[in-house]
Amino acid sequence: MSNSSCLRLDETSTTVVPVTPPGLGATILAAALILPGIAPVCAETAPERAAIGFKYLDYKDSQPDLDRVTARAPSINVVLPLGDAWSIEAGGMVQDVSGASPRYHTAVSGASKFSDVRKAGNLGVTRYFPSGTLTLGASSSRERDYESQSLSLQGSLSSDDRNTTWTWGIAGADDTINPSNRRVSNEKKKTSDVLLGVTQVLGTRDIGQLNVTYARGQGYFSDPYKALDNRPRARGQTAVLARWNHHFTSTEGTGRLSYRYYSDTNKIRAHTLSAEYVQPLPYGFTVMPLLRLHSQSAAYFYVNPVYDPVYGSPFPPGYTFGGNGYITQDQRQSAFGAHSYGAKLSKQVGRDLTLDIKVENYQQRGSWKLFGDGSPGLQPFYARIVQIGASYLW
Amino acid sequence: MSFFDVKGRAGRGVAAILFVAVLAAPTHALERGSVAPPFDLDGTKGAVKLAKHQGKLVYLDFWASWCAPCRQSFGWMNEMQAKYAMQGLQVIAINVDEKRDDALRFLSSNPASFVVAFDPAGATPLSYRVMGMPTSLLIGTDGKVISEHIGFKDADKIALEEKIRLSLGISGAGK
Amino acid sequence: MNSGFDRRPGKHADLAVVAILCALSGGCTLLTPVQPWQKGTLARPEMTFGGDSLDLKNSEHVYQNREAASGGSGVGGGGCGCN
Repeated sequence: MSNSSCLRLDETSTTVVPVTPPGLGATILAAALILPGIAPVCAETAPERAAIGFKYLDYKDSQPDLDRVTARAPSINVVLPLGDAWSIEAGGMVQDVSGASPRYHTAVSGASKFSDVRKAGNLGVTRYFPSGTLTLGASSSRERDYESQSLSLQGSLSSDDRNTTWTWGIAGADDTINPSNRRVSNEKKKTSDVLLGVTQVLGTRDIGQLNVTYARGQGYFSDPYKALDNRPRARGQTAVLARWNHHFTSTEGTGRLSYRYYSDTNKIRAHTLSAEYVQPLPYGFTVMPLLRLHSQSAAYFYVNPVYDPVYGSPFPPGYTFGGNGYITQDQRQSAFGAHSYGAKLSKQVGRDLTLDIKVENYQQRGSWKLFGDGSPGLQPFYARIVQIGASYLW
Repeated sequence: MSFFDVKGRAGRGVAAILFVAVLAAPTHALERGSVAPPFDLDGTKGAVKLAKHQGKLVYLDFWASWCAPCRQSFGWMNEMQAKYAMQGLQVIAINVDEKRDDALRFLSSNPASFVVAFDPAGATPLSYRVMGMPTSLLIGTDGKVISEHIGFKDADKIALEEKIRLSLGISGAGK
Repeated sequence: MNSGFDRRPGKHADLAVVAILCALSGGCTLLTPVQPWQKGTLARPEMTFGGDSLDLKNSEHVYQNREAASGGSGVGGGGCGCN
């Protein structure tokens, strides 16, 4: 979202990002206090041109013998510079989701059919300072059964030599849940997030980033459409994200590697590794193959698909009716591994227009969990994602 | 509480990086009044030597094809060169691209009516202790640095032109 | 306060953060600082950590709604009841 004087002038990207984004020098604390007064090195400035981006997402998932969810979502994003020191960004999307979702585990019979429209919008204002940026953002999302409102504040600061950038962010969200089956009504979920990150130039062809985010939430975390779902009313989530980009002089291509470690108070631990390689080609084409591996352990209250001999499914053996113990039979809370591969092709048309298409194949299996066994007895899960997009600068 | 753990952890990280940042030797820009380091570079129209322009007011600019504000500065530098050439202004723009082709491509869409030189090795920006892109310096007729400016925005134009006029001994409004 | 928060979010995470921050910050002294005029490659859009924001948003949304893990790249954005 931010631009800087050190930025490569390149019409292929709609979103301009600081090259060697902000960070701090010897004066981190002093800098925070006298932010606007710092001598510019290559000052942060608003993007020089306005940008508009559009995407259309077509998503479809399934398991053997069950077509699950289909989603179609057009989205739009506009970034407008207002002079050198300000910019505003606005975005919106409409997501049409329909299909069937298992009520427990990957059971096909009795899968709940649904259809819903989600509308979401976001607005952000960024102020550019000589050595940093400050962004105030708001977003809102609305579905028939779910509403969410959030506010965020993010900042960045650069070192004098622009080789180190510190970023921080805080956000709060307020959600209201009113499921169509009226299992609960007017339930609330309040979440707050913090982020702390550092981006470091490691060499003329290498840049690294390390982010830590922590989110804590209170309220209704259960899935009202799953048969027996009952989850703790508080959750803490920590994620540590490490990213590294390297440019290969021989091919003019760029490798982008990222690893995330995730841990939460439901005892889910996850590792996510992703690799992309951006290769510019003749005639304004760019191709980007991508690979992503994910592995997670199960929530401590996840139960395997083993059912009570008397009551049958979905009741686990010895299930206490009317009890309030934590339980989930949601596939997403189980232990599994996921593999995903795909490619994005973009084509620059003239100086101002870029067209792109991305295709991705995603698959989850219990047996693909790394470091230990995955949850047994679940069907594999497949998703196919196709996205087309266009972006224009003026 | 986990929340405060995060802060504590971050705090240690901040402390560690602060410590390192303090150790890192700061670079300072060239001071006003210091002698502008000489250079002898290859240019679009033959050799470019600072010494050859002694006796003129030199507006020295460091630019690269990948630097967004540099594109804006080219039009303005053309304008300044045309307006104040008679009064003794010489604009010299030193390109710091690694590949000359990148610079030539930039020049074909942003023609320059001033002197352009190439320094792919980066010896000149190092000797001038360039701290951001673009950086420009005004060098007086005595070969000494009058002022330095980092970055280039529309809003900078008036003040930069005023400095040129002042250094040329022209008084009154700029435009 | 709910007892759920009394758990530390994983000692592994603690160690990882400290180790990586130290590596990154300690690395600063070992690294030769890159000069402003040497940043042509770093200025390429694909070398930044942002990029195509709508694409990133769509991808994150898909993964977040099919896996239990999320976070790491930003804050805010709001939730949904997607199933």
